[in-house]
Amino acid sequence: MRILLIVTFLIVAGCAAPTAVITEGGSQVQLRQIQTREYDTLDKRGVLRAVVATLQDLGFVIDKADYELATISATRLQNFKIRMTVTVRERDGDRVAVRANARFNEEPIEDPKSYQDFFATLDKAMFLTLHKVD
Amino acid sequence: MTSPITPRGSDRSSARVLFAAFVAAILAACQTLPEDAFRLNESALELREIQTRSYDGVSDVDILAASSGVLQDLGYAIDEVEKELGVLSASKRADAKETAEILGNIALDIADCMLTFMLGCENDSYQSSKDVQDIRMTLVVLPNLEKEGEYRVRLTMQRVVWSRSGEIYAQETVNDAAVYQAFFDKLNKSVFLEKEGV
Repeated sequence: MRILLIVTFLIVAGCAAPTAVITEGGSQVQLRQIQTREYDTLDKRGVLRAVVATLQDLGFVIDKADYELATISATRLQNFKIRMTVTVRERDGDRVAVRANARFNEEPIEDPKSYQDFFATLDKAMFLTLHKVD
Repeated sequence: MTSPITPRGSDRSSARVLFAAFVAAILAACQTLPEDAFRLNESALELREIQTRSYDGVSDVDILAASSGVLQDLGYAIDEVEKELGVLSASKRADAKETAEILGNIALDIADCMLTFMLGCENDSYQSSKDVQDIRMTLVVLPNLEKEGEYRVRLTMQRVVWSRSGEIYAQETVNDAAVYQAFFDKLNKSVFLEKEGV
C-alpha cells in the first residue's frame, strides 16, 4: 500500500503542467501582456458584443455580463470545465484593451498559446464589428 | 503481542476502493487543456446555425421579454439579464435518467430528456428516477450587422448531471439540434404574442 502511495504521488507530480512551473514567479506584467489585446476602436458595446459572440462560438454559457463595468464571465463544460472572465477598458482615449483570463478546472491557464487562440477567434468576430457597413 | 485482526475479504475491498480513488485522482491530475480549446473547430459553424434564429419587425427588448416568458413557462429561474448586451442566462434543476441509461445511449437520451423538459415533464420516466441535472442556458439577442432591423438570437445550453450520491458524472454542452428546435418553436410563438401585445 505504501508503494502504491509513493507511485501515485510520483505520477501526480509528474503530471503537473510544465508551463505552470516555468511561469511560476513570472512578472505580473508578463501575464497581463499575454492576456491583453488592444483594438483601435472606442465602440465598447460593439467589442463586448463581439466577446459574447466569440464565447458562444466557443461553447461557453454566460454567467455574468455587465455593460457598465464591461465585464463578462462565462463557463464551458465538456468533461472539463473552463471559466473565463473578459474585461474591456478604454485606453488613452483612442482604443480599448480587452483582457481575458481563464481557468482550466481549478488551475489558471497561463500559457500564451491559449490566449493567442482566443484573441485570434475574437479578431474574426471583431472584424465584423469594426468594419460594419453603416 | 496481538495484532489487530482484519478479515481478509474486507481488507481487499478497502484496498480496491483506495486503488479506485487513486486512479481517479491520477486521471484528474493528468487532464490537460485540449489544444483546440480556444479555436473554432469544423462543427462550430454548423452548431451556430443550430443555435441561432433571426427575427425582424420586433425590438430586442421584445425578444428578450418573449424569451424570459418562455423560460418561465419551462420553469427556469433567470440568473442574469444585461439588456445592453442582449444577454439573458437562466437555469433549473431537473430529474435526470439513471446513470446506466445515460452512459448507455448519451445522444438519444439527452435529446429525449431535454425535449421532455422543454415540453413540461409530462408522462415521462424521469419522474421516478432520482438522479438530478442542472441545466443552464444563455440566450443572446444581437442586431444582425448585415441586415438592418433584424436581430439574431443565439442559444447555448449546458448541463451537469449529479448522481444520487452527489457526485458529478457528466458535464457537457448540449449540441442536439432537436433540443434547440423545441425551444425556438416555443420562442416563435412567444415572440408572435409579444408582437401582438397579447
